[in-house]
Amino acid sequence: MKNRWILVLVAMAVALFSAQTGMAQGLEAFSNAKGVLRISGGTAHIPVMKAAARRVMAANSNLQITIAGGGSGAGIKQVGEGLVDIGNSGRKPSEDEVEKYGLAMYKWAIDGVTAIVNPGNGVKALSSDQLKAIYAGTITSWQTVGGEDRSINIYTRDKASGTRAVFWKKALAKGQISGKAQFVSSNGAMKSAVANDPYAIGYMSVGYIDDSVTPVTLDGVTPSLATVKSGAFKVARGLYSNTKGPYKGLAKAFIDYLLGPEGQAIAAEKGFIPVN
Amino acid sequence: MKAGVQDRILAMFSWGCALVLVSGLAAVLGFLLVRGAPALSRELIFGSVAPLDALLLKRQVFYGIFPAVAGTVCLVVFSIGTALPVGLCAGIWLAEYAPRLLKQIFSLVVDILAGIPSIVVGLFGFSITIFLHHFLNNRVFPCLLISALALAFLVLPYIIKTTQTAMDSLPLALRLTAPSLGASRLENIVHVLVPAALPDLASGVILAIGRCAEDTAVIMLTGVVATAGIPKSIFSSYEALPFYIYYTASEYADASELVKAYGAALVLLLICAGLFGLAHLARVWVAHRARVRT
Amino acid sequence: MVVFSGAALLCALATLSVLGFMIWLSLPVLKSGMLWQILTDPWSPDQGRFGIAAMVVGTLYIAGLSLVISFPVSLGCSFFIQVSSPGLWGRLLKKLVQLMTAIPTVIYGFVGIFLLVPKVRDIFSYGSGMAIVTAAIMLAMLIAPTMILFFTQSYARVPRAYTDAVDALGGTASQRLFYVILPQAWPGILTGVVLAFGRAMGDTLIALMLSGNSVMMPSSLLDSARTLTAHIAMIIAADFDSVEFKTIFICGGILYLMTGLGVFAARLSQQRDRS
Repeated sequence: MKNRWILVLVAMAVALFSAQTGMAQGLEAFSNAKGVLRISGGTAHIPVMKAAARRVMAANSNLQITIAGGGSGAGIKQVGEGLVDIGNSGRKPSEDEVEKYGLAMYKWAIDGVTAIVNPGNGVKALSSDQLKAIYAGTITSWQTVGGEDRSINIYTRDKASGTRAVFWKKALAKGQISGKAQFVSSNGAMKSAVANDPYAIGYMSVGYIDDSVTPVTLDGVTPSLATVKSGAFKVARGLYSNTKGPYKGLAKAFIDYLLGPEGQAIAAEKGFIPVN
Repeated sequence: MKAGVQDRILAMFSWGCALVLVSGLAAVLGFLLVRGAPALSRELIFGSVAPLDALLLKRQVFYGIFPAVAGTVCLVVFSIGTALPVGLCAGIWLAEYAPRLLKQIFSLVVDILAGIPSIVVGLFGFSITIFLHHFLNNRVFPCLLISALALAFLVLPYIIKTTQTAMDSLPLALRLTAPSLGASRLENIVHVLVPAALPDLASGVILAIGRCAEDTAVIMLTGVVATAGIPKSIFSSYEALPFYIYYTASEYADASELVKAYGAALVLLLICAGLFGLAHLARVWVAHRARVRT
Repeated sequence: MVVFSGAALLCALATLSVLGFMIWLSLPVLKSGMLWQILTDPWSPDQGRFGIAAMVVGTLYIAGLSLVISFPVSLGCSFFIQVSSPGLWGRLLKKLVQLMTAIPTVIYGFVGIFLLVPKVRDIFSYGSGMAIVTAAIMLAMLIAPTMILFFTQSYARVPRAYTDAVDALGGTASQRLFYVILPQAWPGILTGVVLAFGRAMGDTLIALMLSGNSVMMPSSLLDSARTLTAHIAMIIAADFDSVEFKTIFICGGILYLMTGLGVFAARLSQQRDRS
């Protein structure tokens, strides 16, 4: 189930459409604020959202910031329909979406999407073709790619996921994903699933990588912050926070906070590449 | 088959099944206790904030399950508060006023309501939200109020059935005394029958409370989020304990979060078991009073 | 009086409006004539196919298997409580079973993920451990208490005269059970089974957490599957106007109808029990 109601506070998306005027803001913008800020959408954003929200709410107890997940598609739809103030997406909203909802996009970090396997799995590198074949279901045993003789358990995300969209487009070249794939509903859930299943393969945001999963070296390039930044690892994407119309009010304060030094530091700490 | 052999087979089969069930239960509870007991501490609930500060809402709790517990409490209060009067009155109607045919039809309707899967109730709540959002007021979001109403739907059948059963099982002597002294039907119900049925009713209401506290499917679709703090108003999003458990189980960032989830699961289990124990006590009290009276 | 009947009317209206909403919100799909497609196609949104056939089959498999597992155990436990050990042990088990009804489903799902899934994966050396069989085992634990309590209730309703007659003739416990109690109580047993099946079909969390949620039509018990309930939970965040989203109301409608039918069936067998 999409954790659509995990509002990620990290709404500081860099404004792509509005000029970057270096509004590096701290918590002063929130000193007189009150009310509720609703955030939802991409699950990759959530750790940054939560960390930023905690700081903001600790500085100002009149403010309630609610964070939900649900995936990039959900975030875009919900902010477009007015159900939330900030909709996060791990992919750039399409032109149709921007036009339909009048979205303003703010990018505040860069991230990659990598295939992941369990640390106990001997297979740590794959070629693009192999990855595509695994996900399509034509390669079914780890033995074919140099591992144990056990069947490959594929994990995938649902259609609302921006992570999925980026992975499907750039890593799988829009190839088919087998019907046998098991569904998880967020980046965090993907990590848990692969960490607990020795024969799993999944895909996840690069920022989420830790000891519990192993990123798969794709075509010789190991996914990491460095390779995403340098462009060597091609499956990259921006983390956006979108608002309906140009941002204002609490959303503006929050997004500016994310774009400011504190917010960008949080993004870096959580494993993403800050834009500022 | 000789009777002796048959008896022995029956005994073996029934003991076997009982053992299977009990060992399954022991596995579940034991697993939870072993993994969750270490997590039970003040920190689990309040994080690093002093309990008094948290309870008086002076400081927000970020790393504990207090917001989730608070959300669950608010949910229970609002949903039982809605369902209780409606269910009570409907149950009284069913027990006292309904003509025979309507009674059967309505009984069937209540059974159907009881059988509706909780996710369908949640879906219903969600669609009402969308409906209201589009047609009425752009400020209607999935929130505590809608979840509470949807949960009220869910527990309504429990309360109706409990009321009906409680009223129906009142002794005839009790029913006839007040009217014979000149009381009206309504007076009889309000002043005599309902107070007499109170312990049974209490037991049923407590079970309904347990149902509200543990439900996840309904709240998932109507407003619960994973991070919200204490609900600011009835129109805001909120956290809840069962959802916290589900959410952490599917995506925990590290081992310490998982341990917190075990602790939360244990807390939820203790709450539900506690409520069950309370309901049991209420029923025991009824039996005791009945014995004392006669 | 008005207050009371008004409340009752409100409840009845509420029940009907749930069904009404499901139907109303699925109308666009029903009108467009896509109903048959939705009921039989596979689920492949990328290719524009929104069939929920695999979900219906998944629901039936998981609920069915859980019933197959739970029914014998529940029957045996009910025998234990009522017949073979009516003394201390029977009462103890009954209390335990009653306590089990208070355990939240999310707890079963939670324990299932961390205790059962790895075991299933290791025992069968296949798959991720999240499969029909895993969900069915936990679901069986969920519905067993309901069935047991129902069964014992229906045994208790057998007239004393009958059971006394068996005792008077020197019959043993098992003879009393097989020749008198069961023949008399089987409508109650049937009711219990039907209601438990309805409960199993309607459960969301256990299937959502334990069955893997893949969209393919399951072909074996070790395959991952998706139930209607989990499907609703997963799709709920999709676009409000898309066909995907509208299919969840069809799912909701199907679930409502299936459990409604179950209630009817249970009612009918209860009538037989009384007569």
